[in-house]
Amino acid sequence: MGVPRGQIPWFPTIDYDKCNFCMDCDTFCPHHVFERREGERKLAVANPTNCVVFCRACAKACGPDAISFPSKPETIALIKRIREQEAVK
Amino acid sequence: MKHAILSCTGLDKPEGSVAREVAICAADTTGSEIICPVLLNRAPARYKKALSDSSLIVVDGCSTRCATKLATRLEAKVHRKVLVSDAVKAADQALESTLSLGPKGLALAQSIVDELVRNLNAPTATAEPVADFETPTEYLVVMHDKFEFRIPVVDYVFNENDVWARVLDGVARVGISDYMQQKLTDISYFDPPRVGGVVEQFGELGSLESAKAVFEIISPISGTVTAVNPAVIDNPGLINEDPSGAGWLVEMKLTAWPQDQELLLDPAAYAEIVKRKAAEE
Repeated sequence: MGVPRGQIPWFPTIDYDKCNFCMDCDTFCPHHVFERREGERKLAVANPTNCVVFCRACAKACGPDAISFPSKPETIALIKRIREQEAVK
Repeated sequence: MKHAILSCTGLDKPEGSVAREVAICAADTTGSEIICPVLLNRAPARYKKALSDSSLIVVDGCSTRCATKLATRLEAKVHRKVLVSDAVKAADQALESTLSLGPKGLALAQSIVDELVRNLNAPTATAEPVADFETPTEYLVVMHDKFEFRIPVVDYVFNENDVWARVLDGVARVGISDYMQQKLTDISYFDPPRVGGVVEQFGELGSLESAKAVFEIISPISGTVTAVNPAVIDNPGLINEDPSGAGWLVEMKLTAWPQDQELLLDPAAYAEIVKRKAAEE
């Protein structure tokens, strides 16, 4: 994308009111974005910058629809803005 | 051709109740046989004839896609698919929270059936391809463990989402990379975008399904869909056999080229992404 990954806020957000901790998302995601933990919340987004920008595969696999992502058009606009700013520098 | 309907049984979620209603109503409307997923799982031989003589419609309630996974496991070819939770989102109206169907659930089920029947009577629009792309002959090869990922070099560009495009005379052909087809394993279903639909760069160009995952096809370019590969609609396995050539997915008329190139990768840069992704697994 020509922009440092840390500047692109694209990663899953878990709605813990809906999540049933089936771990299908973690089982699927090969990039270790999620991490299983002890305690009440057995799953967390531990490595958000490992998430492939614009990939939403984990949300598509989520039965209880507990995973959301930012808006794509807004993220594209942000990436283009950062690139323009970097070009000016 | 006759149809058979394999549906989510829908006992513990409102979407499941809608899926069950869709199956019953669609079977009544089209004279199709219903396949009980529980019995199919327990005694597949019971439905051997239905699966071989009919084209299969699969109705899933939620994204767990139990019915689809069952069909895939039994290597049944899926003709059409419905996902109720997607239909709920598209209708932008929440279902009743009760498991028994209320007026909203019934109305949604009826609208899903109406659309399904309309689609069954209309073949998938697969306008003829217009561009004549040469078959790639030269590849970069990324090795990882026992796997070998081939990346065609000629005129291919890629996004980080494992989708390629190649451009000829204002038309682009789009497909998925060898790396992605190997990750998905046997692709059983291609849900194509609408011919004539306008898609922005990084917008959705339909999806692919395998037993492992649903893969949202993320468009590398902005444009209007002009053709869907009819060979892949008939045989999605072609994507696994030849992802960079005969297994192409769609053709698009370009609307923002060459600006779209800014955010795309050449084969060498994409090879680096594949190396990184493979190493992370």
